[in-house]
Amino acid sequence: MRKQYGALVVGAGIGGIRAALDLAVTGHKVALIDRRPTHGGILSQLDHQFPSDHCGMCKMLPLMSRDSSSQFCLRKGLFHDNIDIMLSTEVAELEGEPGKFFVSLSTKSPLIDPTKCVSCGKCAEVCPVRVPSEFNAGLTERTAVYLPVPHAIPNHYVLDLDNCQRCWKCHDACPTGAIDLKFNERVDFHILVVDRDPAVETMLKDILNELNFPLHCVQTGQAAVDMLASDDRIRLVLVGMNINDMDAERVLTRSLELNADIPVVVMAETSQISTAAAMVTQGAREYLVKPLEAKRFVPWLDKLYMRIMSDTTEDLEVGAVVLAGGFECYNPVVDPEGGEDIWSYGHPGVLTAVEFERLLSGTGPTGGRLLHPGDNSEVRKIAWIQCVGSRDVKKNADFCSGICCMFSIKEAVLAKKATNGAVETTIFYMDMRTSGKGYQRYRNKAEHEKGVRLVRSRPHSVIPVNDGMDLKVEYMTDAGELVSETYDMVVLAAGARPPGGMEKFALTMGLDLNEWGFAQMQPYASERTSRLGVFAAGSFGEPRDISESVIQASAAAQAASRIIKVYDVLAGIESEPEPEYPDVSREPPRILVAVCTSCPTLEQTVDLEALSRKMSAVHSVCKVISVGATCTGEGWAEIEKGAAEFKPNRVLIGACMPYAYIPRLKELGRSIGLNPALMDVVDIYTPTFVLESEGQAEKEVFAALSMAVARLQGADPVPVPVTVDVARSALVVGGGLAGMTASMAIADQGYGVCLVESEEELGGMAMRLHTQLDGSDPHKFMEELIGQVEKHPNIKVLKDSRVAISRGSAGRFRSAIAGPQGVFPLEHGVSILATGGHETKVYESGLCVHKSVMTHLALEEQLATGVLDAGALTGVAMIQCWRSRDEDRTYCSRVCCPEMLKNVLTLKKRNPDLPIYVFYRDIMVQGFMETYYTQARKAGAIFIHYEPDNKPKVAFEDGKPVITALDPVLNAEVEIRADILSLSSGLEPNDVEDLLEVFGVEVNEDGFYQEADFKWRPVDFLKQGIYMCGAAHSPRRMDETVASAKAAAQRALRILSTEKIARETVVASVRHSLCSLCQACVAACPYGARVVDLEEGKIIVDEILCQGCGACAAVCPNSATILKGFHDGPMMSVIDAALEQPA
Amino acid sequence: MNNEFEPTILAFVCNWCTYTAADLAGTSRMVQQPNLRLVRMMCTGMVDPKYIVKSLLSGADGVLVSGCHPGDCHYINGNYKARRRVKLLNEILPQFGIEKERVKLTWVGASEGNEFAATVNNFINEIRELGPMEACSMAVV
Repeated sequence: MRKQYGALVVGAGIGGIRAALDLAVTGHKVALIDRRPTHGGILSQLDHQFPSDHCGMCKMLPLMSRDSSSQFCLRKGLFHDNIDIMLSTEVAELEGEPGKFFVSLSTKSPLIDPTKCVSCGKCAEVCPVRVPSEFNAGLTERTAVYLPVPHAIPNHYVLDLDNCQRCWKCHDACPTGAIDLKFNERVDFHILVVDRDPAVETMLKDILNELNFPLHCVQTGQAAVDMLASDDRIRLVLVGMNINDMDAERVLTRSLELNADIPVVVMAETSQISTAAAMVTQGAREYLVKPLEAKRFVPWLDKLYMRIMSDTTEDLEVGAVVLAGGFECYNPVVDPEGGEDIWSYGHPGVLTAVEFERLLSGTGPTGGRLLHPGDNSEVRKIAWIQCVGSRDVKKNADFCSGICCMFSIKEAVLAKKATNGAVETTIFYMDMRTSGKGYQRYRNKAEHEKGVRLVRSRPHSVIPVNDGMDLKVEYMTDAGELVSETYDMVVLAAGARPPGGMEKFALTMGLDLNEWGFAQMQPYASERTSRLGVFAAGSFGEPRDISESVIQASAAAQAASRIIKVYDVLAGIESEPEPEYPDVSREPPRILVAVCTSCPTLEQTVDLEALSRKMSAVHSVCKVISVGATCTGEGWAEIEKGAAEFKPNRVLIGACMPYAYIPRLKELGRSIGLNPALMDVVDIYTPTFVLESEGQAEKEVFAALSMAVARLQGADPVPVPVTVDVARSALVVGGGLAGMTASMAIADQGYGVCLVESEEELGGMAMRLHTQLDGSDPHKFMEELIGQVEKHPNIKVLKDSRVAISRGSAGRFRSAIAGPQGVFPLEHGVSILATGGHETKVYESGLCVHKSVMTHLALEEQLATGVLDAGALTGVAMIQCWRSRDEDRTYCSRVCCPEMLKNVLTLKKRNPDLPIYVFYRDIMVQGFMETYYTQARKAGAIFIHYEPDNKPKVAFEDGKPVITALDPVLNAEVEIRADILSLSSGLEPNDVEDLLEVFGVEVNEDGFYQEADFKWRPVDFLKQGIYMCGAAHSPRRMDETVASAKAAAQRALRILSTEKIARETVVASVRHSLCSLCQACVAACPYGARVVDLEEGKIIVDEILCQGCGACAAVCPNSATILKGFHDGPMMSVIDAALEQPA
Repeated sequence: MNNEFEPTILAFVCNWCTYTAADLAGTSRMVQQPNLRLVRMMCTGMVDPKYIVKSLLSGADGVLVSGCHPGDCHYINGNYKARRRVKLLNEILPQFGIEKERVKLTWVGASEGNEFAATVNNFINEIRELGPMEACSMAVV
């Protein structure tokens, strides 16, 4: 039977992980696959993300039901009860329809048994192969048997068969026999050869003798088919194209009819390659070109044999599919036009951005020191060149990658930090696109505080000078002056491209691609691909940065969960009930210690018997057993047996890589009836690898084990979980596009929604839009949406109303809503704030005084309604960033540049000869929006750059605007007389001061809501159960608003989808008899999980909000507040155990 | 100074950053000093100063507290709380005859396995210079 999942998520990068987690926490089973041998995508290579310039990926982990997922660094690994992760796996086929997709997956075997590999690295030591390391972006080399990512958990070596030389040294070096190259199974691998050429037969017999494969040679197709039918030992068919009695195609079809799984390889002459290639599409595994040479054929066959024997396929049935294939970085070497290497990419001092990031990484080639890869010298001057492979029509990249501006600024800041400011950093850019929340601030800080130099120019080439020691960068200033500068290092901000093999993938998945090779997405639903039920997360549909990828991923998860719900995909599949464990709190601790002895290094460095004797003497240890290999099934059975025999109430396992055991401890708990909180795994292997001196390793191992024993002695057996009954409905504040979309998303899943709008009509700011750049009709979309919302049986719309008060916490809020009919109370589980924004009011430059001056929005309306006749105009001027990105509002409003382009293109369409002048600072059009900028320039609009310290001046003559500004290209003042002056007024969040108090949330310095974490939790408030979306979160276009609304809805569904929220293992509690009500803990709690109940005279802990950080326990003067598992008592014993010398 | 002296170090490390870095240092087989005992805490913000004092009194020659970089705390601001506490402790310890250098606070991010190894090595060298903890055997404490 096919294994059933709610959803399949393809791609385990940040987008895939977010989507999978979002689905998993709402109770859906998810299969998460990635074709790479590791999870994490490109982020596994990047150690630093702005704005903190470190990583905070772990903040994505679930906050509720934390016990069901891993609780450690997310870059290391991920476990979740509802997620099955399959690596090195690709989709081979996708059939079916939404709600019932049939997927077959093919998994490449690592050829190293992960249950036996102890990651000792002996195989890599003997491997003679050296190929560029993918992890270090080619800056270092790796062996063919290698660790894909040094920090991953579980971390096992994999064998890269494509680069293997077949010396088998690794096989011999492996101390645990984990490397399985199937030597013994060769004699059962019968090969059938169908070829008329006797030379082929002799040659094959000759060489296959050495490889031990039994060979059967026939000359006719009929004989081959007969043999296949009669002999089921045949595992591979090699078919020549020269047989007489039937076509090779016929042999292929018949073979596959007889045995659908049999691999058939075609042997073709050079002239028959096209037919052979066609046969591959009909089901042949691959084709070979004759003549066959032993030198190439033998390794090929050997590797094919190992693939056939080791690779696996799996068939799944899923309700929905989420694609999160991410992007690939543009490779400056590969120029489709075959142009010259103008960036000197071959030079060791020229790096791509990812390579530079690896250079700064602690796990990189230099251990994090900024050294020149050519000669390991100190780097003094670095230049970044933006838009390499992006915004380049000639390279089929008429789009902006959207990520490079920020990562270049970040890298410049990191370089400064790594050298204590010594290095000179210059960024050459075309437009510095800082149109995200906080981006402009980050840029200003880099430029003005950190001393990163920004030069607005595009160098035409990079040329090595001084015998290749330095790199010359030549560029033209705006004034036409040619400047030449030399650098030690040049970093190319290589943009995003569709992931490799996208075309084939699109064919498999049945997707349409856009002209740049990314998935084609639908308007107003940027998570929807062209195939129903298949959604795109992360940057699969358009290059995106982390926070937008995360939002997009949640939106895709929302769309997928809707399908799962609508089609009732997992109906009848009961999730396993939470097991109940016996209460052992009254029993004295009896600890079973199991020591894993699978790795010979332990035996070599540690006297196991002595260790076992010493451990047995430790208080409360009831038995010490040695287990062959704890990570295998047999080893596990031994522990189970030991547990049955000695009836311990705590279990301690000494093994390697403790993180990897977390899911298995739960299984063990189920089978032996012991709470996993009373079990622990400690690493006893690392000391044996790194400590040389006699007896030292033994001391360390003993200390590690006895510390764990001390901790287990005091471990809290978890009492019956306290739960909160969830009020399964939502309160949505704001009836604009964001609020309505979020309401629909929640209501469609069957939960009630109360939508509160302060105006008299729904619609908000989006109602002012009449056209969109992509040609879609926003008005129609909005009207349909309003209609749906008002008719939806689960949505109650309250207009002209406001929220007067809201109390309670996640899962159970009580609010009061004041409207024209009076005040009415509401119980709800979650709140979503979508209070939106508005066009900024600017009373300058004659706006509101002269009729000829208007905002972009007003111009759009006049053009759409026909008030303004474009044909009668003689000149139009536009000014961008009017009071945006300066001291008044230090952020980019994001919507004005597309709005301006919309007006330019409409005007040019109606009156192609109309002169249009646009004064701008940076044109902020990320992603595929870039193409409209190209169109606007092609249409003849003139773009004039200005600097903020020399803004265009506006005067009026006869009521018509006259704009004077410095044209940097002419290097002279220009005077533009226009009929109309259109200003980008920017976007401001609506005033929400009253709501901040009502909901207990915060806004940032610009008045936008302050999210829990900018990158990793972009739509969550710090206070659980409250979410944000739309323009109140940050300036957003319609598509982005919809995505954020769906993301917020999905996050909210996490709470609404359960009847009860259970308490975690690690939470704080108060021993009221010791509490002096000093309230120090209330102030210390970063989550607002503590309140003082004055009537009862008690500190109350909200166990849902508590995240178990222990800040309260540390401040408590009386030790009244305790954190489960980290009491003072056990902590003190752990310290004693750590310092105790073994007897 | 006694050349034979091998200090015993107790390190309170946070689950999210430094413990991960220590694990990375371990699994990457970076050479590690003996007598380093790691105590994993959820957050450096939960390291009660009494744990540090207790460690010093029970025979540790130095105590390292290490967590996420400022601004990166998984629990928002726990590392700032740790910073305040260690600073105060450093003020108080000399009054009891304990060199303040014996208690050190560092930030080591999850990916900085090498940084962790370097931090520990430096700290051990510093403590080796200081010599064994003698204050706890004196009557002052």
